[in-house]
Amino acid sequence: MAETAAPPVRPIATEPGNVTVHVDDLHVHYRVYEDRRPRLREVLTAGARRPSFREIKAVRGVDLTAYQGESIGVIGHNGSGKSTLLQAIAGVLPPTQGAVYASSQPSLLGVSAALRPTVSGRRNIVLGGLALGLTRREVEERLDDIIAFTELEDFIDLPIRTYSSGMRARLHFAIATSIEPEILLIDEALSVGDEVFREKSQQRIAELRERSGTVFLVSHSLGTIRETCTRVLWFHKGRIREDGAPRTVVKHYREHMREAREKPGADR
Amino acid sequence: MPTASSTPPAGLVRLGGTPSVPDYLRQLWARRQFARENAVSELRAQHMDTALGHAWHLLNPILLTAIYYLVFDVILDATRGLENFIAFLAIGVLTYHWMQKAVTGGANTIVGNEGLIRSLQFPRALLPISTVLQQTLAFLPGVVVMAIIALSTGEGIRPDWVLIVPAFVLQLLFVLGVSFMAARAADAFRDTLNLLPFLFRLVFYGSGVLYAVDDRFPIFEIWWVELIFILNPFYCLISLWRHALMTSYQVPHIEWLWLSAAVWTVIALVVGFLVFRAGEKGYGRG
Repeated sequence: MAETAAPPVRPIATEPGNVTVHVDDLHVHYRVYEDRRPRLREVLTAGARRPSFREIKAVRGVDLTAYQGESIGVIGHNGSGKSTLLQAIAGVLPPTQGAVYASSQPSLLGVSAALRPTVSGRRNIVLGGLALGLTRREVEERLDDIIAFTELEDFIDLPIRTYSSGMRARLHFAIATSIEPEILLIDEALSVGDEVFREKSQQRIAELRERSGTVFLVSHSLGTIRETCTRVLWFHKGRIREDGAPRTVVKHYREHMREAREKPGADR
Repeated sequence: MPTASSTPPAGLVRLGGTPSVPDYLRQLWARRQFARENAVSELRAQHMDTALGHAWHLLNPILLTAIYYLVFDVILDATRGLENFIAFLAIGVLTYHWMQKAVTGGANTIVGNEGLIRSLQFPRALLPISTVLQQTLAFLPGVVVMAIIALSTGEGIRPDWVLIVPAFVLQLLFVLGVSFMAARAADAFRDTLNLLPFLFRLVFYGSGVLYAVDDRFPIFEIWWVELIFILNPFYCLISLWRHALMTSYQVPHIEWLWLSAAVWTVIALVVGFLVFRAGEKGYGRG
């Protein structure tokens, strides 16, 4: 790709071999049900097959290598495939083609992901920890710390369907970082939290990086991206359009956004 | 930046690949606490907002038996000379209800847990296992109800009651295997979920829940009709419970029913597990 000219800037020293994530020619497609009347032509050509499923090609050929100590921001339009990329790196959405290699199981943190809506916050922490591979004793040892981090003590025994999106994000962030993952993937989860939570979570992210972890951060807040990240990917229509230093990539992205505003529908 | 190299850097493992059967079983065993905790949490949450709360776990089997008793004994008088129709009916209805709930619940586990599947990486077989466990826990009060009905209608405690244990184990493993298949099928074709209630209704009427498969009905004297019932795992499993708990009713060909139930259980469990695992990579893609 011609755009991937700028070499990634890595402030924390990396030696060869400490790669944490390697993505090789990744394609992810998934099927969604489309609510519209099929056109007559489609009914005729598709025959007995249901024409109302649409194949979404969310990620179309991504190659990527991430190193220890990197904090990688992912920016791009809504629907450009950022979330799908993260889900594939986490191994929760299977690749249609290509492969993801990682030094350990990444931990994904998404805003929409409700664990068990009818179950209390406390029980969700336990469930999440157990699903992530902690033993019951390890979960119980960490439970108080996790609850303290969420600052949801008064609400921790309520079912999480009653939580606001910010409260849910706190809970989920606490669960995902409870196992001190080497690779942490954050999908917009910080943007719904308040100022206090944002500071706390940014501190936690910095800690993880210092322990030679790798953090991926999807966000529309370009300010957060520039403050937190050591490297930025601009994702566009399922592909990496630019990969480089935060200042450069964010600048190019802003220019592109300005052009898109001036000429609506040109290259979205 | 090194791109498009087809060999991964040393020390990295491939994500989302299908692990070998022993590895998969090891992973399941390591996270067995999740299956338990998930089952208990769901069960607790179920009746949280009702006035009677956990009493429903006991009320459900009682009411279910009472309705069938009202319709088929009191109103229709369809006992056909069965001495202890209410015990016969309670055992049939409650054990069948367990199988139906566990399999339909299991069918929903991949389709209905997209949020969980797309946010946490764990062996997906934990989900059907957990649902079957949940329904099994919900069935335990039913066992108490069956035992009380049997005792209070004069069946008396005998050494044969011990046979409840193997019957329970066989039925649990059979249902787990079928749930694995149903979960995979529902993920591939959502229509499975619409079809299952009708299938279970059909099997309900075809598995001797409400009637005895013996010479009370001339049709059961035809050898191949009888054979169909012996080859029906649902009929077999229900009959094992009746055999264990009842003296007033003798289940015909009980040795063959034990054998048939055992063979079906092994088939269902092995095939179900392999079928489910073969689809592991695709779960969550929608």
